[in-house]
Amino acid sequence: MDCRAALLKIEAKADGLLPREAEAGLADHLAGCPACAEECAAISATGPALRALAGIRAMEKAPALDVMRTRVLAGIEESREAHRRRSWVARWAWVPAAVALAAAAFLFYPAGTDRSPFHPSTFDVAVEDVESEAATVALVDKGDDLPRVIWIIEDAKT
Amino acid sequence: MMLLLAAVPSWAADTVSIDVGSVYASNEGNSIDPALGTIRGKLQSMFNYTSYRMLDRKRRNLSVGEAGEFELPGRRSMRATPLPSRGDKVRLSIQISDGPRKLLATTLGLRRGGMVLVGGPTHQAGVLILIISAE
Repeated sequence: MDCRAALLKIEAKADGLLPREAEAGLADHLAGCPACAEECAAISATGPALRALAGIRAMEKAPALDVMRTRVLAGIEESREAHRRRSWVARWAWVPAAVALAAAAFLFYPAGTDRSPFHPSTFDVAVEDVESEAATVALVDKGDDLPRVIWIIEDAKT
Repeated sequence: MMLLLAAVPSWAADTVSIDVGSVYASNEGNSIDPALGTIRGKLQSMFNYTSYRMLDRKRRNLSVGEAGEFELPGRRSMRATPLPSRGDKVRLSIQISDGPRKLLATTLGLRRGGMVLVGGPTHQAGVLILIISAE
């Protein structure tokens, strides 16, 4: 194994990609080549150094991340509270409208309109006169407990 | 409260309250309008229709000699005029028209709270029956 091939295997080893069966050949070359052994030591030390650096940067950024997390959580809670307020308003908004409608109906319902059922007290009716220009009219009297009926038979339609 | 009292109609004893209900009687279905109250059974025992539906109902307070117009279904109209009377009697002059055609002119004498029916004008697949009462 020459130094060029050894350097590729050193990089592959640092990345964890070197097959186990190739490790013996690389070890043999490093044992006989101080330059490659030094390069291998330097490259192998890079990984832990990078991890350590990343950890340090994360610790540096932690307070900012905490602030951001707190801000996001507060925003979520504020949004939920606003939704709850809207729901409460939507749930009860019809009450004042219904009260206003009922009051308006009571005050302005036409006096000439009446939906209460009919409850006549008597059917005693005297027909003093009856006439028609365009129909035949019949008087129907079926007794005191039934209303008298004036029945119009339209001549043009019969 | 004053506003409510002002909205409630009031009338003197020499006025007549005339109530006109327009009922559509037909053989379409078997429903009897609950708004007809106790008159439902009377209608069923007097006529052979299977369905009675109140289309409209109007009430007017009229003084003696004052004519009141009542619009009826089918472009018909009724004019009612209270006439002078004694005691608890009410006399009404009733005229029913179908456009220019005068279908009926009659004078009725009722007791206050009394009722009379005027029916026969065709309406859709049945007839109109007017329930006329006076108090």
